[in-house]
Amino acid sequence: MRLPKIIVVVTAAAVLLCGLGRAGGAVARLGERSLDKSVVMIRSVQQEFDYITPWKQTEVAQGIGSGFVISGRRILTNAHNASNYKYVEVRKEYEAKRYPARVAFIGHDCDLAVLTVDDDSFFNDMVPLELGPLPKVNSTVQTYGFPVGGRRISVTEGVVSRIQMDVYSHSRADSHLVVQTDAAINPGNSGGPVLQNGKVVGVAFQGLREAENIGYLIPTTVIEHFLADIEDGKYDGFGSVGFAFYPGLHSRSYADYLKVPPGQQGIVILSTLMHSSVENVLQAGDVITRVDDFNIDNDGMIEIYGLRLHMAEAIERRQIGENVEISFYRNGELNKIAAVVALNKPILPYWRQYDAEPRYEVFAGLTFVPVSRNFLETWGRNWITDMPFYLRYLFNNSEQLNTSRQRKEYVVLSEILPDEVNSYSSGFRSKVVGSVNGIDIHSLSDLRDAFAQSRDGFCIIKFMGTAAPLILDSEKAKQRHPDIMEKYQVPVETDLEEIS
Amino acid sequence: MSAKSPLYYVVLLGVITSLSFCHRQHLPAGAAEVNEINTDLSEQLKQSLVYLNVSAYVYNQMQPWKSAEIVQKAGFGCAVGPYEVLTTARNASDAAFIKARRHGQNEFIPAEVKVIDYESNLCLLELDKDAAGDPLEPLDFAEDYDKGARVRSYRLSATGNLTTGRGYLDKAKVYKSTTSYASFLNFTVANASDASAGAQLYCMGQKPIGITCWADTDAQEVGLIPAITINRFLADARRGQYDGFGTAGFVTRTLLDPTRRAWLKMPEDMKEGVYVAKVYNLGTGSDILNENDVILAIDGRSLNAYGRFEHEQFGRISYHHLITGHSIGEDVTFDIWRDGKKQQLKTKARNFEASKMLVPYYEYGKQPEYVVTAGLVFQRLTRDYLQVWGDDWRGKVPPHLYHYYRDLAFAPTDQRRDIVILSYILPANINLGYHGLGRMVVSKFNGKEISRLADILDAQKLNPESKYDIVEFEHDYPTVVIPRTELQFADIAIARNYGITKLVNVEP
Repeated sequence: MRLPKIIVVVTAAAVLLCGLGRAGGAVARLGERSLDKSVVMIRSVQQEFDYITPWKQTEVAQGIGSGFVISGRRILTNAHNASNYKYVEVRKEYEAKRYPARVAFIGHDCDLAVLTVDDDSFFNDMVPLELGPLPKVNSTVQTYGFPVGGRRISVTEGVVSRIQMDVYSHSRADSHLVVQTDAAINPGNSGGPVLQNGKVVGVAFQGLREAENIGYLIPTTVIEHFLADIEDGKYDGFGSVGFAFYPGLHSRSYADYLKVPPGQQGIVILSTLMHSSVENVLQAGDVITRVDDFNIDNDGMIEIYGLRLHMAEAIERRQIGENVEISFYRNGELNKIAAVVALNKPILPYWRQYDAEPRYEVFAGLTFVPVSRNFLETWGRNWITDMPFYLRYLFNNSEQLNTSRQRKEYVVLSEILPDEVNSYSSGFRSKVVGSVNGIDIHSLSDLRDAFAQSRDGFCIIKFMGTAAPLILDSEKAKQRHPDIMEKYQVPVETDLEEIS
Repeated sequence: MSAKSPLYYVVLLGVITSLSFCHRQHLPAGAAEVNEINTDLSEQLKQSLVYLNVSAYVYNQMQPWKSAEIVQKAGFGCAVGPYEVLTTARNASDAAFIKARRHGQNEFIPAEVKVIDYESNLCLLELDKDAAGDPLEPLDFAEDYDKGARVRSYRLSATGNLTTGRGYLDKAKVYKSTTSYASFLNFTVANASDASAGAQLYCMGQKPIGITCWADTDAQEVGLIPAITINRFLADARRGQYDGFGTAGFVTRTLLDPTRRAWLKMPEDMKEGVYVAKVYNLGTGSDILNENDVILAIDGRSLNAYGRFEHEQFGRISYHHLITGHSIGEDVTFDIWRDGKKQQLKTKARNFEASKMLVPYYEYGKQPEYVVTAGLVFQRLTRDYLQVWGDDWRGKVPPHLYHYYRDLAFAPTDQRRDIVILSYILPANINLGYHGLGRMVVSKFNGKEISRLADILDAQKLNPESKYDIVEFEHDYPTVVIPRTELQFADIAIARNYGITKLVNVEP
């Protein structure tokens, strides 16, 4: 049975801050080298947005994590140590001084961030750590950081238990390579280096709840991809080719039906993603046998780094915009294509979003937001089962349900700011907008023009999965709108910044 | 679909007992009200009440070929004929064997279902006359309602004691039936000292007024199926051809919003009417109503914005009572507002078998339909199947399956009569590579669009020259390819390995 992952970060351990200082004496050492000139404590103050009424923010929280200095006078840490941040500072173990820091780059999909410190003297006596290779299974690694239970740098030792693709808990959705270790990784370790032979082989980042000594680190393959990505001054992220596939071509009859030669292994294409580079190139029933230099087996695995890993690793190695060569069988013929690696994000984001002010549109007290995982999680701990049906349907099947090439997102009526003009609208809360005044709504930015229209003096809002429309008096809605905005202190009328 | 499709009915005896043969119990009438309040009818009811023990089938939705397990259910009944007992359909559902015990008699009396109607949740049982001995003393149900009146409950316990309770007649209201999708009038009894469902008899003074169909023990409330429903059920049942009650073929929403009324071009002084939000393919009104209609009146009874009308006896109650008040085939008149003007539409009262639904609401008393081929378990999507996901099944079932139940259950078409799913796969060599698949909606089998489960059997005969049976699914799932040359032996092996005595159970 799969156990839930938890993020190993402390959000309320500010008590540690007041008593930390250099105590002298023993410091964590790596051979003859002390790690207190490489590993730092990171304190951040974070504040999330309210995804129902996005102009509001939630309670301020603060947390402590770890990080370490790398080349280029930078600090590498986890994204979850610095996401939604209002303030970040770093501390050296042996010095009382706090150094305000800034997030230079952050990759929420790989849970990595690079911080810079305004006071450049911070780096003068610091020793950057170097990145090493993927560690071998059953080899020994050491974890450094500032976990709970003390005020000094902590070091724990363990062995590498396994290396595989797994979900990164920070985004709740992205899967990349992870290294599992039995070295103790506790809250506060997040962002700290894991070393072997004096070099960083990973960044500690998450653990497994209800299990003993199962911790995970981000391996250097992922770290190097992140650092290479930001060299051009912006972070793009990990990409994909844009197809769904079935890793189960074990049936000889299925292979024969698809005209795949005997003995040939591969994966079966089920669908391609709208707008991806392969949308009109690959098709359901194609069998992909090879990506670049890697043969794909019937389980969808490849041999890479001396390991048997998910074929996605062959694509993830590439940066956005690069090509991969795909070999596939169709009607008994072997074909080769160059496919562009791109973000290929689905219409409904199933990952958690950070550091982006949620967009919204308010009209006559009706508040509309894009459907996002953050919005859906407002249904609480059991949001998957507790959210309204149609939202759950879209969350699971948005790619199958959407047929519009114009669609950029789904828009939901998230809240109703009560007023006489919308007194009878409460039954429509949390429903997904289909059209307004006959105009199909494909993104939040479609709403403004649609509301400017009217149908015989009425504003008619139709919702997906709901037969009856919501009807407003157009003139009255426009008249009441400014008063509603003032009464409920909605600071700006809209925030329609386009999706990046 | 026949407009007169009968509900589930089981006539087990060729001779329908005539009312004239009944030695009907006439309880003393005309007692002073103060005495009525304190009237205890325990003595008079001893030969009218029975205790029921029902051995019921429980089918396994995930292994539908399995012989059903048997569970024991207890319930109550009251005499409506010398050897006829009224109880709830819930008590008698899925019955393998029913036995009754009457007061003062140790031996159980075998009973059989004569008519059962899951919509109204009523069942007429016939006792074995030889085992029953003397005739029971049948009751007449009085269609009386006195809001706030003190009422008493009566039931014969498992140990043969006649147990009574008290409460107050709190309200008359239309509730959704606990055994079906239909909505019927119930009386609610508050402060019920013996709050239990299962067809306890309730009397107001000297008069039987209903039997319990639901109970809320925390709130000490029970719901009664009132005499008005019981008497119509009995009259229909005794005609020999049970047709059942009319049921609504549409869904309404309140029409309080003046803006919506203006949008519908209704005059400001027109305050009545309820909004038609959805129209089914089945049931009363489904043939004449449209979405965005406003129902102003049914059979001349004006509906308010909540869809309620003023009943001379029960006060304001839902229009469902007007629909269920009709026998099948009777005329029903709808006064509606459509396209800015009044119209009067006439139709016939209809109901339908749950099995006619695209996703049947219930499947009482029958083994689930299925087809097993090459280890692939194909089933008809039903509400019973979806409920396998447990108490929170609505939030847990795959949303594409739930969508068919939620949005299209009442919308079967000639092209789509069942939703056929690949439930799961019994692992075997012939289906290697597909073992984890399941909960997928079948679209085609050997190129034939699947409209009902039986289509799979027809489709297996198609493309005789092909090496394979080909199964395709909705949404993005792999095609399942079954080698025909291996199929016969594989089916035998799978049946033996998994203990499947019959690979196909499909109604013609």
